[in-house]
Amino acid sequence: MNKGYALKVEGICKHYSQTLLLDDVSFSVKQGDVLAVTGWNGSGKSTLMRIIAGLVRPSAGRVLMFAGEEVIPKEMRRRFLGMVAPALSLYDELTGVENMEFFCKVRGVPYHRSDSLALMEQVGLGGHEKKRCRDYSSGMKQRLKIVQALVHKPPLLLLDEPGSNLDSKGIKIVENVVAEQREMGITIIASNEKREVDYADRIINLSE
Amino acid sequence: MKNGRWITQTESSTCLSEALAIWVRDLRSEFRTRYAVNAILMFAVTTLIAVSFSIGSFRIAETEKPFLNGVLLWVILVFSALSGLSRSFVKEEEAGTMDVLKLSARPQAVFLGKLFFNLTLLGALELIIVPAFIIMMGYEIELPGCFTAMVVSAGLGLGAGTTIVAAMIAQASARGALFSALSFPLLLPLMIVAIKGCERAAVGTDAAGWPEVRIAVAYIVIMIIMSLFLFPLIWEE
Repeated sequence: MNKGYALKVEGICKHYSQTLLLDDVSFSVKQGDVLAVTGWNGSGKSTLMRIIAGLVRPSAGRVLMFAGEEVIPKEMRRRFLGMVAPALSLYDELTGVENMEFFCKVRGVPYHRSDSLALMEQVGLGGHEKKRCRDYSSGMKQRLKIVQALVHKPPLLLLDEPGSNLDSKGIKIVENVVAEQREMGITIIASNEKREVDYADRIINLSE
Repeated sequence: MKNGRWITQTESSTCLSEALAIWVRDLRSEFRTRYAVNAILMFAVTTLIAVSFSIGSFRIAETEKPFLNGVLLWVILVFSALSGLSRSFVKEEEAGTMDVLKLSARPQAVFLGKLFFNLTLLGALELIIVPAFIIMMGYEIELPGCFTAMVVSAGLGLGAGTTIVAAMIAQASARGALFSALSFPLLLPLMIVAIKGCERAAVGTDAAGWPEVRIAVAYIVIMIIMSLFLFPLIWEE
């Protein structure tokens, strides 16, 4: 994990029909950096995060992730990133622990139920392990999304509106996650929330 | 959260382990919601009862029985499958879980996981419907081994064909109509082969090497290999 990861975004453009959403966005971040992406609603923050994650193809430009000197192939990038976003949903018909079990197993992370329960306790979901996610509040779902993004200890963490629906305890969890990620990887936060932007060392404003 | 990064070890996942995780997750979800099972079984049971009451075993001439029973059996199985197998991908789209799945597993593993799930549903459908059909229609089979091999191999082909079409239509509107429209030409050759194979097994024509079973196996291999190559293109934007 300590290879010295870096991310390079080069000349990203994104068109939707006739609308130019992202126009030549470029930046680089390296291990230990926290970058905030800000901008008005509809300025393309979430789209940029999805392009970095490989979920959306850019109209032009490219995203390169490096492990040391080596470029990580695009199809392998998902192994190296965790993402929290409003558009990402978890499996409502499964319980919180079952969701965690699935994400561990599908990502090749050893799964231990006791560890999962301990982690759920830490994110304030203790006592709700047997509840199905459809019965979780939006804040509880957001906490579970954060856990889901971290189970494989990704060197690149993409947080799109990470504090949405969270109470003060939940916000503290986000703060701790960002602080911890600073020691072991790259964090990119898309938000207009001052508190979340303040976590960052650098800011990119897509509205400018 | 200091202790929150509690997982200190990671092991590289294989395509098969990812596929199995997806298969188990889908089975667990289906067990709780029963969307696909209900759709498939309701269609299958209703059509089987309608066919057996309206035609039964007495209204078909003895000479026509091997062929017509094969036709009716595969009409029931194929259209029952079409009524529910698209759910495997459509439910991911409707629940908004497509992205999290794209981020978690490689495309081939997603395809294989969904294929295993659809094959499980089809296996359960065949286990219920085929014996019931044989009893209710008085379907006499001279070569039970050949018949079983035909039903199993054509079932596998049906699963492989419908899984890749389900992936293609998941993000489209008017999914139901598209699923049937796209599946039908893809499944027609398999259906014809399956009907012919069942007729041969019923009559007892022991052609060397069971040619229809071999064609169905070739169909499965071609369909799965093609799907594994094509699926990443469908899965990624």
